[in-house]
Amino acid sequence: MNAEKIRKDFPILSKGVIYLDNACQTLRPVQVIDKINEYYNDYPVCGGRSYHKLSKRVDEEVTNARRIIQKFFNAKKVQEIIFTRNTTEGINLIANSLSLQEGDIVLISDKEHNSNLIPWQILNSKGIKHEIFEFGNIEDFKSKLNSSVKLVSTVQTSNLDGTSQPVEEMIKLAHANGSLVLLDGAQSAPHKPVDVQKLDVDFFSCSGHKMTGPSGTGILYGKYSLLEKLKPFLVGGDTVEETTYEKCKFLPPPEKFEAGLQNYAGIMGLGEAVKYLSKIGMKNIIAHEIELNKRITEKLGNHEKIEIIGGLNAEERGGIFSFNIKNMDPHEVAIILDNSANIAVRSGAHCCHSWFNKHNLKGSVRASLYCYNTEEDVDKFVEEIEKVLLLC
Amino acid sequence: MICILTLVVFGVLAIFSASHRPLAKEAFECVFLRLTLRKCRTGLDTKVKSSIVGRIMGKSPFAAKITYKYFEVFSWVLVILMVASLAYSVYGGYNYSLYGNCYGPEEINAFCIYNALEGETFTELQTKVSGELEKPTADDDPYLGKDDAKVEIIEFGCYSCPYSRQAQSTVNEIVQKYGNQIKLVFRDFPIDTIHSRASLHAEAANCALEQDKFWEYHKKLFTEHELCTSAEENHLEHIVRLAQETGLNMKQFSSCLKERKYKEEVKTDFNDGIKAGVHGTPTFFINGRTIIGPKPIRAFEKIIDEELSK
Repeated sequence: MNAEKIRKDFPILSKGVIYLDNACQTLRPVQVIDKINEYYNDYPVCGGRSYHKLSKRVDEEVTNARRIIQKFFNAKKVQEIIFTRNTTEGINLIANSLSLQEGDIVLISDKEHNSNLIPWQILNSKGIKHEIFEFGNIEDFKSKLNSSVKLVSTVQTSNLDGTSQPVEEMIKLAHANGSLVLLDGAQSAPHKPVDVQKLDVDFFSCSGHKMTGPSGTGILYGKYSLLEKLKPFLVGGDTVEETTYEKCKFLPPPEKFEAGLQNYAGIMGLGEAVKYLSKIGMKNIIAHEIELNKRITEKLGNHEKIEIIGGLNAEERGGIFSFNIKNMDPHEVAIILDNSANIAVRSGAHCCHSWFNKHNLKGSVRASLYCYNTEEDVDKFVEEIEKVLLLC
Repeated sequence: MICILTLVVFGVLAIFSASHRPLAKEAFECVFLRLTLRKCRTGLDTKVKSSIVGRIMGKSPFAAKITYKYFEVFSWVLVILMVASLAYSVYGGYNYSLYGNCYGPEEINAFCIYNALEGETFTELQTKVSGELEKPTADDDPYLGKDDAKVEIIEFGCYSCPYSRQAQSTVNEIVQKYGNQIKLVFRDFPIDTIHSRASLHAEAANCALEQDKFWEYHKKLFTEHELCTSAEENHLEHIVRLAQETGLNMKQFSSCLKERKYKEEVKTDFNDGIKAGVHGTPTFFINGRTIIGPKPIRAFEKIIDEELSK
């Protein structure tokens, strides 16, 4: 993998910014931008409804994007790929479509993004409980499984420190318990290979904007047999075969979950983004990120004023270096980096307030890497952090 | 403390820029919380501090360290300076409203920013006199009012100077208001380096004085100044035309002007002005107290009334 060559596809990187906020949102290559422009310039019409040539072209492009994504995740059927706005919408779709009953339990980890916590808190009012297990702790996970656990909804790779759970094993345990599994793949899909058949996961949700795709795009994978049984979440135009004044007949998946006019440009851009990542190779991307993360960790990991979240082993943290500097507010560090050397990092609770509250922390500074980051980027980051360390 | 500064800065910027209004609002919230002895929740203080430290760190890590460590102290110093500056501005505004300058009755010559509010300024001579100044006298120059009036106002003016011209309406009001309580003397201070025909005007006015029609001609020179001349009319023709309109004996006037009869008289006025420290027109000496530029009438009234009450 040649990061220098990849960088040329991202025009903003030539403007001097060191972008290390990829866990929030990645940058977009010109190929994705061109694809979006192609839609708006050449066939900016609605798909799935009309019979003119332009509309047919939109249908073809959307189907093509769906096929690219199916292949990327190794889904069995193209119909198993549902387009959403983001990971959050995918999780909400499952939370509202799955027929959970009073007394059912949804098992989540203690390191979930708010998007995989709040939907279950909302269901508490219907008598559906959510219980917490310690992230990555198989024994604790096992101990929480029981006959009431109907769904395990958990994150594959944590956005706050980059660590991952042994999801393959967890899925086997959950299935043996009769529970379905929904994986939050927002931080795994953009960085490492994900094979939904190999994982045998029931549902998998991820975001386009974290994997070089357009904002407002997301993917929900679901096993077809399960999707067929799910009731639709959002309903309306293009979700039904026909209606009378009294009732309607829904289309099969994925259409019954894609209500209203779709974000065609976004979907096509997302297809192009996935194609772009496939070309680079997901194994190459994660290996590159780990190499860079090791470089940062070697230089900063043992500093007495630095506290790394997720441990010293960079391989376990993938492309994320989440840390705090003693006696400094994480926002302070992020703003200083931005103003001193144009380095963009994230600071705060990263939408995982519950975990930070449990550990009595205000938040952290998070540098997250991607395929276009280079050794020069991380060396500059380290150099600036060393200067920040002198401040306090 | 930095929140107070940001409130002032962003508050002013917010008047002109909509994008600064949310910041001004945030700063206000922060200041309000601090004033009510609560912690600033907006994080504005952190943002401002970090932004400043970050920018400094890009240039000097050592300076950044000092700024970071003593940021609160620097903030306090800046707030104190801001309050002092504000108080000084209010004091200046108070003086301006009373005396037409920022510094009170005794420091009337110094530069005052508020003058710009009324477009007040004066034509300044490039060179200034050094050494001890001499109190100007009325000499034998024309005057209005009473010869032995309690208050003597000596105006050093220039007919070609737009600021002298601007001041004339105020001078007329003063003459009307105070009548024989004052003696208003006009002395020539032609700044030829700026206004090339200034001395010629002054000499022409003195030629009119010879025929006891100085003030009529003086008024015409100020009101129908050279900008009012037609394109075809040259400068001398303009002076002559005004003399004709004033009803002067033209033969006598032309001869006086041609001979430059009052060249030395005008020069004497100018030199007396220099000795008195005049460095621009118009300059007024009210019983020795100076006003430079076309100040509002209240500035004159304040001094005249004070002198009359002595």
